[in-house]
Amino acid sequence: MIYKHFGRLLHLLSLLLFLAFTLFPFYWMVSSSFKDQTDLLASPPVWTFVPSMAHYAEVWQDEKVFAAIHNSLIVASATTFLAIVLGAPAAYSLARFQFQGKKDLWFWFISNRMISPIVLALPVYLLAQSVGMLDTHLVLILIYLSFCLPIVVWICTDQFRSIPPDLEQAARLDNANQWDIFWRIYVPLGVPGIAVSAIFSFIFSWNELLYALVLTRSNVQTAPVIATSYMSGYELPWGKIMATGTLIVLPVTVFALFVSRHMVRGLTMGATK
Amino acid sequence: MEFLKIDGVRKNYRDVTAVGGVSLSAREGEFVVFVGPSGCGKSTLMRLIAGLEEVSAGRIHIDGAEVTHHEPAKRGVAMVFQSYALYPHMNVRENMSFGLKMIKTPEKEIYQRVSDAAAILKLEELMERRPKELSGGQRQRVAIGRAIVRKPKLFLFDEPLSNLDAELRGEMRGEIARLHKELGVTMVYVTHDQVEAMTLADRIVVLRAGLVEQIGTPADLYDKPINTFVAGFIGSPKMNFMPVDVVEVHPQALRLSHPALGLFNMPSERTGAVSVGATLSLGLRPEHLMLSPDALLDTLKIQVTSDYVENLGGSSQFYTWAADGSRVIALVQGRHTANKGSALEFGIALSKLYLFDAQGHAL
Repeated sequence: MIYKHFGRLLHLLSLLLFLAFTLFPFYWMVSSSFKDQTDLLASPPVWTFVPSMAHYAEVWQDEKVFAAIHNSLIVASATTFLAIVLGAPAAYSLARFQFQGKKDLWFWFISNRMISPIVLALPVYLLAQSVGMLDTHLVLILIYLSFCLPIVVWICTDQFRSIPPDLEQAARLDNANQWDIFWRIYVPLGVPGIAVSAIFSFIFSWNELLYALVLTRSNVQTAPVIATSYMSGYELPWGKIMATGTLIVLPVTVFALFVSRHMVRGLTMGATK
Repeated sequence: MEFLKIDGVRKNYRDVTAVGGVSLSAREGEFVVFVGPSGCGKSTLMRLIAGLEEVSAGRIHIDGAEVTHHEPAKRGVAMVFQSYALYPHMNVRENMSFGLKMIKTPEKEIYQRVSDAAAILKLEELMERRPKELSGGQRQRVAIGRAIVRKPKLFLFDEPLSNLDAELRGEMRGEIARLHKELGVTMVYVTHDQVEAMTLADRIVVLRAGLVEQIGTPADLYDKPINTFVAGFIGSPKMNFMPVDVVEVHPQALRLSHPALGLFNMPSERTGAVSVGATLSLGLRPEHLMLSPDALLDTLKIQVTSDYVENLGGSSQFYTWAADGSRVIALVQGRHTANKGSALEFGIALSKLYLFDAQGHAL
């Protein structure tokens, strides 16, 4: 009896520890953004303090930060939108149609993710430069698409495959054409997979640093680029960095919370048998 | 008038022939059942009629028009799937309205047709529920309702009762029979359960390995099976088969012998092809075997050794061995027991005997 309670207590403690370990960086970043300079740099660290908005005021005045967030929003939203709009129909055809070369096409999609991004950084830069697309939203969107599309296709194909094929046959008898079947049956039932791949695409595009650094100059710098641009010199403006970081994390968190509501399990229960 | 006509239809998958040259027809308003063991091609045949698969050869006509290469929706058929195939993200009303919405029927008419169908199937209380909130029987009725709403010329049922428990199955069987009487629509029903076939069908098509074995009314198939396969398939428990030797051939009768039966005469019309010394198959239905030792006229006596008896409450099923090792099963009214190894005697009317030649064809 005692052992059971002890075991559960241990379990709870280890979960709390893990939670603390995962959430601590966020806590540190958010709390630091509200500390004034002396509290920030205090050693040992200060746990209770009087909050100050000084760093946020600093960020507010620096128009580069909001411009960067704006650019990130454009790039991430466009990438996610295009990845879903292009990837979902592709996934449907891979899941349900029979055609020659299907296996090879599938492998090609997946193999796109096997390459390490840094390997292609220089060739992509030269390519973008030669067509004059450096420092544009479009070039970032296109590159990010090449990373996100395979994942969308991968997840959505699996999701669509798990939908009972009987439903499609019943719909064919109900006079539904191919588009109706896709839009009215597969998409609603595939929402969990679509939601997951949308979240993934958005987070990836939002956080991506390497290609953003390589391909942007001054016009379309995204949020991660700005955040890391402070990391030079001897006096690092920690407060400003923390405040910028907090602002950058906010949209992604909101987006993920919003979309995750659609990841409802067991959506296809009750369709058959 | 042939409402449904299937002409030499074949379906091949690579090297497997699922349906090998089937021809049959059904009249308008008839209830036809395709029955046969698993893998006999009955479901494939139904899907060919529905248009969910392309025929490899042959033609299909529905209501006078050839539909062999038509899309499923253009054939005027509705199908109830074995798995019901209800749209899980729509409620009952939306499920039943889907087909009509696809052909752009006006809202008011959709509402009316759906309400009528719901009334027939007693679904009025469940219209706002999703499939996962319904029981098996309710889902089945929704699947049927979805088909009714489209007012099809031909109703197809693909083993609709196989996922239900025994009690519900009996209830739904009655529902389907009632539906057929009420709607008067031609129905094609696929099942592996011969009880469903016997109780629901106007005519039964027995299939084996992609080919038609026999087509006939339930009574035809029971009384006059054309071969041992049909004889053994129809009727539960299965018919007993005992090998008998021909001792004498007469114009109107055969003299046969078997260790457990002795020598006996059996009237037969087709004695011409039989030669002395040939071995034939004698068919005896378990339900025709009687336990009474009274010597009734025209009764054949069978001597067997008892193995075990199953008590079914109001009847008993005897499992016995004949002297030559043949299994003999008898279904007898009343509650009986017998010790293992004890000798029993059954009697069966001569008129209830079936005779098949060495190839399994009926004589």
